[in-house]
Amino acid sequence: MAERNLEQLEKIREAVSQDLLSGRIELLLGWEKGHYWWQSRPLFASSEGDLARLTWDSFCAVNLSRYLLDELKDHQKVGVLVKGCDSRAFNRLLQDNMVQRDRVILYGLPCPGILDYNLLAAEAGSKLKGITEENGQVILKTEDGEIEVNRDEMLMVKCSECLYPDPVVYDQMLLEPLGQKEVPERFKAVNELEALSSEERFAYWEKELSRCLRCYACRQACPYCSCRECFVEQENPRWQGRAYQPSENFLFHLVRAYHGAGRCIDCGECQRACPVNIPLQELNRKLIKDINELYGDYEAGVDAEKEPPLLTYRPDDPAAFSEK
Amino acid sequence: MSIANPLMPQMATILDITAETPDVKTLRVSGKDGLPFEFMPGQCAMLSVLPVGEAIFSITSSPTCRDCLEFSIKNVGKVSSYLHSLAPGQQIGIRGPYGNGFPVDQIKGKDLLFIGGGIGLAPLRSLIGYCFANRDDYGQIDIVYGARSPADMIRKSEVKETWAEQPNTNVHLTVDAEFPDWKGHIGFVPNYVTELAFTPANKVAITCGPPIMIKFVLQALDKLGFAPEQVITTLEMRMKCGVGKCGRCNLGSVYVCKDGPVFSLAELNELPGEY
Amino acid sequence: MKKMIAADELAKLWIRLAEKSTLFLPVQDGPTVLYQPWKDGAQVELEAFNSAISPKDIFLPREETYLHYHCSGQSLELAAVEDDRAVTAFGIHPCDLKAIEMLDRVFMEQEPADSLYQKRREKTTVVALSCTKPDPFCFCGIFDVDPLDAPGADVMAHLVDGYMHLEARTEKGKALLEEAGDLLENSTIDKIEREIKTTDFGLDIKGLPEDLKSRFDDPAWDELYKSCLSCGVCTYVCPTCYCFDVEDYGHDAEGERFRCWDSCMFGHFTQMAGGHNPRPSRKERVRQRFMHKLQYYPEVYNEIACVGCGRCLRSCPVNLDIVQAIKALGGEKVEHR
Repeated sequence: MAERNLEQLEKIREAVSQDLLSGRIELLLGWEKGHYWWQSRPLFASSEGDLARLTWDSFCAVNLSRYLLDELKDHQKVGVLVKGCDSRAFNRLLQDNMVQRDRVILYGLPCPGILDYNLLAAEAGSKLKGITEENGQVILKTEDGEIEVNRDEMLMVKCSECLYPDPVVYDQMLLEPLGQKEVPERFKAVNELEALSSEERFAYWEKELSRCLRCYACRQACPYCSCRECFVEQENPRWQGRAYQPSENFLFHLVRAYHGAGRCIDCGECQRACPVNIPLQELNRKLIKDINELYGDYEAGVDAEKEPPLLTYRPDDPAAFSEK
Repeated sequence: MSIANPLMPQMATILDITAETPDVKTLRVSGKDGLPFEFMPGQCAMLSVLPVGEAIFSITSSPTCRDCLEFSIKNVGKVSSYLHSLAPGQQIGIRGPYGNGFPVDQIKGKDLLFIGGGIGLAPLRSLIGYCFANRDDYGQIDIVYGARSPADMIRKSEVKETWAEQPNTNVHLTVDAEFPDWKGHIGFVPNYVTELAFTPANKVAITCGPPIMIKFVLQALDKLGFAPEQVITTLEMRMKCGVGKCGRCNLGSVYVCKDGPVFSLAELNELPGEY
Repeated sequence: MKKMIAADELAKLWIRLAEKSTLFLPVQDGPTVLYQPWKDGAQVELEAFNSAISPKDIFLPREETYLHYHCSGQSLELAAVEDDRAVTAFGIHPCDLKAIEMLDRVFMEQEPADSLYQKRREKTTVVALSCTKPDPFCFCGIFDVDPLDAPGADVMAHLVDGYMHLEARTEKGKALLEEAGDLLENSTIDKIEREIKTTDFGLDIKGLPEDLKSRFDDPAWDELYKSCLSCGVCTYVCPTCYCFDVEDYGHDAEGERFRCWDSCMFGHFTQMAGGHNPRPSRKERVRQRFMHKLQYYPEVYNEIACVGCGRCLRSCPVNLDIVQAIKALGGEKVEHR
């Protein structure tokens, strides 16, 4: 991985530094290395010096599009590096009128998926010192030698079922596209949950949501949660209580999920952000599946021109609630 | 060993509720036998209405008033609007007193300059009442009080009639703009303070009002030659516990609910300006 | 008093301790390890590093009800809710116990003492467990935490060669070992020797609190906050964060009042009813949290409010953690700068 990525990184840096220097953009949202080789965190680059810290590797998980909500307040024109999911997040914000297309330059980065350090470390057994990548394989460098594993099996959950590795909207594609992916297992977990009785399903979610701290990391990382004031914080009337009752946990997660119906781009940032590993993507996927079945296939964020099904009306829309 | 829960309110009863201005009401509240607790001017109490919640208010009565506590409350939030809707006889929860209060001993023997704006008179009134009850301990008293309009002045008759009649005391009233029935001074409080040209010798200025007023009052006092040690103010911040733990009113190494809310300007200058 | 028990017999010890107290243990809950009350069949993970959330919630629960109210007409009745259960906190790591001692100062030493916290602390017997395998984010070394010894423990435990060794250090600790006396044999281990390697991330925190006193307006704050998402992860997983809220739950006739965790990272935390907010943006809130850890708390208690447990490094979705903050504020060894 290292060498391929260095080459790619140079290409990226060249393109963005030209634009930063020429004033085409005032700020670039990218990634830089964190404390360890398996951490890449957001970089806010406004100078050549900042760009020296730019990185592009298999750990650039953070979705940068959301930062536009704040950065467009302070900057006239912002550049963003976008993976497939980040580009769909951008479309989400665009459709919600939260960003202006002409104030953003999108640099497309086809992404083969982000690696999950926990999976790598578990596979390594002994201490993992680093990795390289080659032909769809990851080579783990451990204290006891090298181990080769299939890259696809080391992906974060949010990436293992990604349909769109390539950016769907961009001003400049900086790397070679990878093509759309087949994901036959996308609704596997949802199907399994649907097969349960309603009591079993309730018990499942009650247990999973019982860990919820209501830190709201899922909401804060989410590109569809861009409301300036969330119902959670509204005081008069107060919808969301602070108690850690199951009913309050359900209220938050269900209202959030329904608010994302037809709008969730399935980027999985909610689940990645959750400190107690609640399988939030299953909730969102259930709604994606339902919307697809009710209103025909729709992929949120793929085409900004195509209105979300719940924001449009067709005379032949199913209306089960009014029948009987 | 059993210690009391500092978050546990005691019962109190609303004796009466008086409308002061279109959005301020004064509540008189008593505990089971008179005062729910002893306190000093400038201290605060948490009032509870269940299940709406708790909010902290400064006590506006003087500790020399022995039969009840008084709170002048502006209708701005959930708890305050609920309190406005209550009728005399209603029981509520109360806990306190909280905060340091005004330095009543430290300012003994000094001339006092009170500068209040709008609802900001509420905490000052407790100290003013205390000073009048111990009149010999304090020098000349000047009270500058202003509001947006005459209708927005609280405790009007008390200010005009009772206070102005006290020995060695001057009351200076002002409103922000012209009003048909208003024959007094017109202009913002800070400008009025400048016009009145108070001299700082042996004087302590005590101010409370909207943040923007305080900001300009501090500038005016500085220009008149008041040293930061001669200027006292009382801060208002969001508070939930009142006992220096919940974190909302944390300012540097102090908690406003416990180490404040009364600070001299000299003390405030040492703290982060996040209030 | 020194005792031991074979590691594969520990389930018997759990059953015994759970008879007379609520027994908190690190338990595997789905993919996450959390300190939870033990129940039959729980998968205890003593060596997991580190629990997703610190064990502070044994003493400062996410939520605790402390009064019930009844209203009828104009009258109101308030009744205190007391929690008198005995608690055993088992498998607390030295870093986490040190963090609890930091909370003790806030909740017990500062007047007025917090009776809810103090009662829990008094009713709890702490069995600390020395570390076996710290993870890459552990950096307790720079905060004077000894991963092999927790001085404040009632019982100090070590896992060595298939046995758990238990040394009672207080009366409460002795009572605990006596209660399980028939399950335990005498231990002869005096001192345990084990090499625990933690990182220091190249940090040098000497003099940092003093230095930060004059740096409230440092330009570093203008950059540091930018990636912050304004969620509460760091504060909720952190063992030394203690901000809380007080709320009511119920309807007009009856209900309860409880306190629950809150976070200085949330915008509404300091939002006043009239609309004014003294910490209106992410910048002020990020600064508040780190200044509280690195300057405000140390100014009162002479110690940085961090124990190097690494949870914020592990959990922050954007890697904005205390190590990054310390580095941004210049708390780095010269050769690392």
